[in-house]
Amino acid sequence: MSTDRARQVLAAPKDAVPPVPIPRPSIVPSSSNLPVRRWLLPLVSAVLLLFIGGACRGGDASPERHTLIDSRDTYDPRSLDPALSTDVPTGRVVAYLFDGLTGFTPDAALVPALAERWEISSDGRVYTFHLRRGVTFHDGTPLLARQVLKSFQRVLDPAVKGGRGWPLFPIRGAREFAAGQAGTISGLAAPDDSTVVITLEEPLAVFPKLLAMPVASVLPDSVPPDFGEHPVGTGPWRFVEWKHDDYLRFVRNDSYWGGAPAAESLMARIIPEPSTAVAEFEAGNVDILQVPEGDTRRWEQTDERSARLQSAPALRLYYVAINTQRGPLADVRVRRAINHAVDVQTILNRLVGGRGRLAAGVIPPALAGADTTRAPYAYDPELARQLLAQAGHADGMTVQLWSSTSPPFPRIAETIQGYLSEVGIRVELVQRDASSMREAARKGDTDLVLKDWFADYPDAENFLYPLLHSASAGVGGNVSFYSSAPYDSLVTLSRHESDESLRDSLYARADSIAFHDAPMLFLWFYNDLYAIQPWIEGFKVPVIFTGQRWLDVSISSPARP
Amino acid sequence: MLAFIARRLLLAIPTLFGVLVVVFLLIYVAPGDPVQEMVGERADAETIARLRAELRLDDPLPVQFAHYLGGVVRGDLGRSYITNRPILGDLLERFPATLRLAGAAMLLAATLGISIGVVTSRFPGGWLDRLALGATYLGISFPVYWVGLILILVFAVQLRWLPPSGAGGVTYIILPALALGSRSIAFLARVTRSAMLDVLGSDMVRTARAKGLGERGVVGRHALSNALIPIITVLGLDFGYYLTGSILTETIFSWPGLGRYVVNAITRRDLPAIQGAVLFLSVVFVLVNLLTDLLYAKADPRVAYD
Repeated sequence: MSTDRARQVLAAPKDAVPPVPIPRPSIVPSSSNLPVRRWLLPLVSAVLLLFIGGACRGGDASPERHTLIDSRDTYDPRSLDPALSTDVPTGRVVAYLFDGLTGFTPDAALVPALAERWEISSDGRVYTFHLRRGVTFHDGTPLLARQVLKSFQRVLDPAVKGGRGWPLFPIRGAREFAAGQAGTISGLAAPDDSTVVITLEEPLAVFPKLLAMPVASVLPDSVPPDFGEHPVGTGPWRFVEWKHDDYLRFVRNDSYWGGAPAAESLMARIIPEPSTAVAEFEAGNVDILQVPEGDTRRWEQTDERSARLQSAPALRLYYVAINTQRGPLADVRVRRAINHAVDVQTILNRLVGGRGRLAAGVIPPALAGADTTRAPYAYDPELARQLLAQAGHADGMTVQLWSSTSPPFPRIAETIQGYLSEVGIRVELVQRDASSMREAARKGDTDLVLKDWFADYPDAENFLYPLLHSASAGVGGNVSFYSSAPYDSLVTLSRHESDESLRDSLYARADSIAFHDAPMLFLWFYNDLYAIQPWIEGFKVPVIFTGQRWLDVSISSPARP
Repeated sequence: MLAFIARRLLLAIPTLFGVLVVVFLLIYVAPGDPVQEMVGERADAETIARLRAELRLDDPLPVQFAHYLGGVVRGDLGRSYITNRPILGDLLERFPATLRLAGAAMLLAATLGISIGVVTSRFPGGWLDRLALGATYLGISFPVYWVGLILILVFAVQLRWLPPSGAGGVTYIILPALALGSRSIAFLARVTRSAMLDVLGSDMVRTARAKGLGERGVVGRHALSNALIPIITVLGLDFGYYLTGSILTETIFSWPGLGRYVVNAITRRDLPAIQGAVLFLSVVFVLVNLLTDLLYAKADPRVAYD
């Protein structure tokens, strides 16, 4: 749109904006962490309404810049070393700079990357990857098969202290190597410069997806000690500069094998406070924004703003893990009662801006294996009371509910407390910072723990196995300490099954068992909501966090009068 | 003077040692585990056990402390568990940003705060005084994050005069310095006003007026220079706090300073980074206090350190 249109927008009468509900600030003190965030969103909604009257000041004219600017990171990446990519900001940046053998599209489809194609042996154990020819690193050196081997070894090397070996542990001999018991990884071989043969300990259908994770990126021969500050990869963007806690800058890799990105350069700003990111977006200084939950209605209800919104289902589950080994919670009737006692839809609408879809199982609807016909537990306090009475808790019971202090968790926990008390379950809230909470949950010291889980790779297995398989109990992610032989065997079977449709039906059956056993209070699958500046073309909200590498995104040329 | 400085610096050593011991113990008793932060959401017990052993987290506490202290004495604050970068380098990289912000906030506080204080002390009870009194009440009462957001919304989003956040040229520092300094401006204005009123009512000022000195000389030369001690105290204290990182201001304005480094280190249980940062900040604080004491001697010749 033109500058004239922008002026019209700016001149629009301020009372033309519909009233926006002002969220009530929570009054519960937080035990640690910054108290600032829980106050800021409501405050900002109120203050924006008063001061700005809802007119979107971003304007429609393109900025006079050629750099795409991202505002999503709220904290500094750990490092740019793929071996240390255990969090979202790190993984996202590693995906800009590097490639793996495989990769993801914004829609979370698995596509060939450095491996042009691959074959799987009939027993599902041996993967033969054929490398793309003519690929070079940013320093000009050519890609060779031995670098793939060295990169994987490096991730598992005890000296690197990466801590994220699990995506490569399926490779035969990988665990022994990581434990320092073997000098090489027996399952890795490079018969020639463009072939990598990987032998697995046992068949694993999701293995090619694991190789698309940032940690499995391919590094050049030379990896100096400060590689994490000066990374060299094969990816679509080359590293330029990193000002810690401030921004990272990248320039496009003109010789990218997949075609150079459309834009010249890319900047990832680190903006810790969501309200500030909103202000930067409204000032036109950043190109995309993750709309804070508390701001959802304000954006959706203003035409000028809603036109800029784009939503996509995130592979992210919100849930309350119920420790199935603790006291009365070992009784499935109690766990079902908890599921019937809470009006999840209302919580979703009121506290998360309606951004999600009720969960009936752990597999997000966007993934194969999800049974979208299964109905979630109905909100039925009477049924919940009956179930509790059958389980011998007619007089009520007491449990602890843990949650972190970061929004929106405390308020969700408080609301769940309220619903549970209606059916006679007294809830003691325990609010801790995320680190303390995680430690307690992994040790099995929590009755109920409110948390979320998002996918590292787009596959139902990434939910079924870590969240509820007994082999993942504790640190592996199963903080329900759920242990069900039929469930375990279905999930294990599905992991080995190479036939896709058969695998999906195994996934669905396992999910159904878990749903009926209720090892968690199923909440919702989250929807991401982005605002995108009108001058940005080609941006798609990624389903998996590493899926959007800004390849096709451009800034439309500035509209000049 | 030099002997005084040397003595103060020597005395700081046991203080810093005490700080280290307390921080070490606090981190030890606090829940949360650095290794669990290193491995992320999904992990396995062997990896965690191996990392614990490599980081010597299973050693007895005194051994761990001695090991850490050994590094500190050699000027080595260690490497971050999370980023694997040298901690001293990380701190030194962020300190200039913190220094700039603290300096700008103090400059604003000193010029605006003292000016308001001096001017209002000349007309106690007048409309200007009452207006300033009200404004300073607000300045002291409003929390910094609220002030910060209002500043962003008004001056960056609405008026478009200044950038909302980030670090860059001079324009970037104005809003965070105002937000950070607002409390100091208000506080300093009130301290200056009351100190000035004290002095203006003294015999010395009456004598100065009696001998025919102009108002400018009375207020500037005689009154203000005698009211400086409490002003320096407030400036020194606030500057010390600002230099140790202003977590809220840095968070709201995406300012890449020490405060955010400390918060990130704490949320990720990055033990060596927390210890290193606290030690570094304690040294800064000790130095600022020393500087304040030296300024006392400058402002008031009766204060002598020998």
